[in-house]
Amino acid sequence: MLKGTNIHKSFGDLEVLKGIDLEVAPSEVVVLVGVSGSGKSTLLRCFNFLERINKGTIEVDGQVVDPKKHKLSKIRAEVGMVFQHFNLFPHMTVLENVIEAPMIVKKMKKEDAVVLAKGLLEKVGLADKADVYPSKLSGGQKQRVAIARSLAMEPKVLLFDEPTSALDPELVGEVLSVMQQLAQEGMTMVVVTHEMKFAREVADRVIMLDEGRIIESADPVTFFENPSHERTKQFIQLVD
Amino acid sequence: MELLNTVFEVFMRTYPGFLEAALMTLKITAVALVLGTILGLVFALMKISRSKILQTIANVYITIIRGTPLIVQIMFLYFGITELITLSGFWAGAIALGIHNGAYIAEIFRGAIQGIDRGQREASSSLGMTRAQSMRRIIFPQALKRSIPPLGNQFIITLKDSSLVYIISVQELFALANREAAQSYQPLETFLVVGVYYLILVMIFTYLLKLYENKLNVDK
Repeated sequence: MLKGTNIHKSFGDLEVLKGIDLEVAPSEVVVLVGVSGSGKSTLLRCFNFLERINKGTIEVDGQVVDPKKHKLSKIRAEVGMVFQHFNLFPHMTVLENVIEAPMIVKKMKKEDAVVLAKGLLEKVGLADKADVYPSKLSGGQKQRVAIARSLAMEPKVLLFDEPTSALDPELVGEVLSVMQQLAQEGMTMVVVTHEMKFAREVADRVIMLDEGRIIESADPVTFFENPSHERTKQFIQLVD
Repeated sequence: MELLNTVFEVFMRTYPGFLEAALMTLKITAVALVLGTILGLVFALMKISRSKILQTIANVYITIIRGTPLIVQIMFLYFGITELITLSGFWAGAIALGIHNGAYIAEIFRGAIQGIDRGQREASSSLGMTRAQSMRRIIFPQALKRSIPPLGNQFIITLKDSSLVYIISVQELFALANREAAQSYQPLETFLVVGVYYLILVMIFTYLLKLYENKLNVDK
């Protein structure tokens, strides 16, 4: 579904990703962990082409994406992204946030977009908030709207960049449970998070990044109970 | 007390002429603001575009206009380019004011657009919007709202700067005041009266902008 081969990415002299190979199968949930600066968020942003890679290839749904040849907007519409800071559109109501991209990008009729959006808001438990502005929502509600907004484009893959890191502790659960529900429905997901409980319970595979390289990739049980790399052990002790 | 009486007297004698002149001031300001806002938007978009050529054109325009006095620009349009085109005083003045304001308004829009959080662009990109769609639907509406206070300032400056077109004999407020003062030998009273006209126009302007700003503030 999503495949990166030998991905290299530098910011100036700093090489952040040093040859990443990662393939995500349909309906798979991959959780990326690692200390800050390990490159996990950068990797996610490369998969969405918010960052251009310096070397390597990225395939979406079996097709190699060449930023020079392909319209990136078309590709991005298939790879949804949920951000740490939600990035809702503050000048639009919740409903308008969700119907915007289907109408503008997919040219969907407003009535159809509204039906779609209301269904998605129902799904994330915010049907009653359709007509309020984002400034009136809690962080957890904002992030659930952001998820609904991404889903409205019916992406093939959904990327989550530390979706709960900006939330108060008591609001984390409501977002994670929406994500868990999506995973159960078969959504292909790549999640950068520090929520180890989520990694244990929801992930099909947990991947540890360290200094721009993948040093551990295993199912959650093996990852947490029997990691092969010393750095992974240290990391697990640190966060658990 | 004596002064108040003579001011009132001057006011009563001159108000038919001044009301007409005030209308002229408003007309010239309105044309200048429409033109200035359009030019400002175009040059702001050129300045933030990825094309070096467009950026350069915008920079040259802004540098020249901000670097020369408005009164020189007015004279240039009215007397300077008569070989190319002959403009009436009204149009020369209004266009000069519009071009002049365009440079400042361009900087206001550019600053507001660049001040919008990068996450807004990234979110719209990640949803598949093109740069143009993202600008039109997401970035610009938010930037416009932030531009209102500095735009309001600029609009008020334009209204007051329109007095400079008296130099090319446009019969607006200041030109009339100037003539009245000379003819009546009452410069103190006349300039006091015309000052009040400007003050009232500016206050009405400020009030209308406030209404518009509140209307845009629905999401707060």
